[in-house]
Amino acid sequence: MSLRPFILGLAASFGLAWLLVVIVPFIMMRNLEPITLTKETDGAAGIFYPKRSGRIINGAKVYAENGCYLCHTQVARPTYAGNDMYRADLAGLAKDPERGDTRRETNAYDFEGETFAQIGLTRMGPDLANVARRFEAAVAAKGGGGDPAAMFYAHLYDPRRNPETRKSTCPSYRFLFTRREIKGQPSNEALPFGGDATTELLPSPDAKALVSYLLAMKKDQPVPAALNFAPPEPKAAAR
Amino acid sequence: MSSASSATALSDATLRAGIDRSLRHPVMFFLTSGAAWLAVSILLAIIASIKVHCPQFMDDCEYASYGRVFPAHINTLIYGWGFQAGFGVLIWLMARMSHQECRAAGTILTAGHVWNLVVLLGTIGILDGRGTGMPWMEFPAFVWPGLLLCYCAIVVWSFIQFRVRDGERSYVAQWYLLGAMIWFPWVFITANGLLFCASTHPLMAAAINAWFKSTLMFLFFIPIAIGTAYYLAPKLTGRPIPSTSLAKLGFWSLAVVAPWAGMQKLAGVPLTGVFLPYLGAAATVLLAVPLAIAVANILRTIYSSEEKLPKSPALHFTLAGLMGLLLLAVAAIALNLPGSSLKLTQFSISGYGFEILALYGCFSFMMFGAVYFIVPRITCREWVSSRLINMHFFFSAYGIVAIAFGALFGGFIQGSAQEAWLQPWETVTDVVRPYAAVSTFAWCVILFSNVFFFLHLAMMWLGRGRPCGAPTLLDSAAEHAAPASH
Repeated sequence: MSLRPFILGLAASFGLAWLLVVIVPFIMMRNLEPITLTKETDGAAGIFYPKRSGRIINGAKVYAENGCYLCHTQVARPTYAGNDMYRADLAGLAKDPERGDTRRETNAYDFEGETFAQIGLTRMGPDLANVARRFEAAVAAKGGGGDPAAMFYAHLYDPRRNPETRKSTCPSYRFLFTRREIKGQPSNEALPFGGDATTELLPSPDAKALVSYLLAMKKDQPVPAALNFAPPEPKAAAR
Repeated sequence: MSSASSATALSDATLRAGIDRSLRHPVMFFLTSGAAWLAVSILLAIIASIKVHCPQFMDDCEYASYGRVFPAHINTLIYGWGFQAGFGVLIWLMARMSHQECRAAGTILTAGHVWNLVVLLGTIGILDGRGTGMPWMEFPAFVWPGLLLCYCAIVVWSFIQFRVRDGERSYVAQWYLLGAMIWFPWVFITANGLLFCASTHPLMAAAINAWFKSTLMFLFFIPIAIGTAYYLAPKLTGRPIPSTSLAKLGFWSLAVVAPWAGMQKLAGVPLTGVFLPYLGAAATVLLAVPLAIAVANILRTIYSSEEKLPKSPALHFTLAGLMGLLLLAVAAIALNLPGSSLKLTQFSISGYGFEILALYGCFSFMMFGAVYFIVPRITCREWVSSRLINMHFFFSAYGIVAIAFGALFGGFIQGSAQEAWLQPWETVTDVVRPYAAVSTFAWCVILFSNVFFFLHLAMMWLGRGRPCGAPTLLDSAAEHAAPASH
C-alpha cells in the first residue's frame, strides 16, 4: 500500500460525509430565512419576530458551566420522535386558561440569542423547554400569591425542600447564594427562607442570571402558520 | 546459509532493541501519566455516580457539584487517559512496524508534558465552573489549540517513519493507526473551529458537537483499538491474519460509514435537515458491520489452530477488548433503531453506557493488552507479579460488564418510563436509581483494579521489574515466585 492513494481514499470517504453532514448544513443554518406572515393564515402581515426576554447569554453561560444539560433537555420532540407532546405540560399547557391548548413542538426560532442549543444529554430531570410556563401555572393555581422566580431560587438552593420534589436528585446550588448580615432594612431580593434575625440569604449575580434565563423557558408565543404543525381543531370542540 | 539467516535475525533483534531504547522514555511517560489520569477520572466517576442516587453526598462543595464533576470525569478519561495511552501505543507500534528508530524522543516527551499541563488546566477550569457546556469539549476554549499543537508534535514523527520505511509493505494495523492519525486532526479542527471560532445556528452547533463525539469515538479510539489488536494477535500467537481482503473491507467500510454517524442525538430536533439525525442513526447501526468484521478476523487469527494458547496477559486483555468491541457492535444496532429504540435511548443513560463501553470496555482493554506487551520490551524487565495482572484483569472486566449492562439496560427502562406519559415524572427518577447504585459499585471495583495497574506500571518505570528472561504468564505464578523475590 502506498501512502498517496491511501490518503486520497481517506480524504474522499471522510470528506464527502464531512461536507454533506457538517459543512453544508452549517452554512445553510447560519442565517435562517425570516418567516413572512400572511393575512389569510396569520391574521397579520410582515415578518415573524421570535420573542425571548431575559438575560439569555449570561444565564446560558451559568447553565452550561454548572452542567444543567447533563440531566435536563430543552426540546419538545414531534410525535414521530417521542411522546413529548403528550407528557403533561412538557410542550406547553394543554389547558391554558386564556388560550386553550398551547402545546407545540420546539422550532428552530426558539433558541434565539443562544450560541449553543442545550438539547441536553439525558432526562434524569424533567425537560425545561416550558418550565417557566409550568411554574407560572403552578403559581396561578395557588391563587397567584407567589412568584415563579422565588420558586426557581428555592429549587436551586435546595431541590428537596419542597415536599412535592422531596425525591429529586437535582444537586443543590447553594454556592450560587451568599449569606449577608442585615444592615437596616432587609433586602427585597432576600430568599423567604434560610435567614434569621441578623442574616439573610441573597442570590449571587450568577443565580440571578440563571433564573432570568429559566424564566424565559416558555414557548407561549403564537407561531406563524408555517411553523404550526398542530392538527386543525375540530369544529364541534371550538370554544 | 544458516549463518546468513542468524546474522539477519541478529540485526533484526538489534534494530528492535534500538527502536525500544529510542522510545523508552516517551512511551513510559505516556503510559504512566495516562494511568494516573485514569485513576483520577475513575475517582471523579465515583463521586458523580454517588450523587445520582444520593444527591446529599458532598452537597456543600461547589467543586464537587455533579454538573462539574461529571464533565471533569469524562474529559479526563478521554484527554488524560485515552489520548495518552493511545499516543504511547501508537508511536511504539508505528516505529516497530516501520522499522525506524525514533529520532525525536525529546520533542515527543516535551509535547507530552505540555499535553498533561494543558489537560490539568482544563480539568481545573471545569471544576472551577469555567466549562463550555459542550459535551466532550467542556475544557475552556484556550485548551484546544494547545492540545492540537501537542498532538501534532507527538504524532508527526510516526507519520514520517511510515513515509520513509523500506519498501511498499504495510500491515493492517498500520492502516488503522494511520487512519486515526489523519482523521483526528480533521475532526478536532472542524468541531472546535466551527464551535469556538465561527458562529452558526445554536442547533447546528449542538449537532456538530454530537457528530464530534461519535467521530472521535469511531475514528480515533476504535481504530487505535482495532489496529493494536491486529498487531498483537498475530504477534502473540505467531499466526498470520487469515484474510487481508476481509481486513481491507473492514477498514474501508469503517472509513466510509463512521463519518456519517453521530447526529442521532438530535432526533426530532428542528434542524434544517430533519433527516440528518436519522442518517446518523442509520450510519451507527451500519457501524456494526466493520466492527464485527474486525472482531471475526482477529478472532480467527487467534483461534486458527488447535494449539494451546499462551496464557499471556496481553492476549487476555486483547480477547476481552474484542468481546467489548462485539458488544459495542450489538449495542450500536440495539440503541439506534429509529422506529423503536432510538426514542427510548435518546435521552437515557444508555448513551453513557455506550460511551463507556467504547472507551473502557473496548479501547482501554486493548491498551492494557498493549501495555502488558510493550513495557517489558522497553524496560528490559518482566512484570513483577502475575497476581497483580490477574487482579487488574478480573476486577476491570467485572466492573465494565456491570457498568455496560447496567447503563445500557437501565437506559431502556428509563426511556420506557419517559415515554409512558400517563405516569408521573417521578417514576423516571425512581427507576434510574438502582442502576446508578450498580454503577457506583462497579466504578469502585474498576478503581480498585486500576490502582494495582498504576502501582505495577510505576514499579516497572522505576526499574523495579523482574530482571528474569522468562515472560510473566498468568498460569505460572508459582513457577516465577522464586525469581520474583530477587
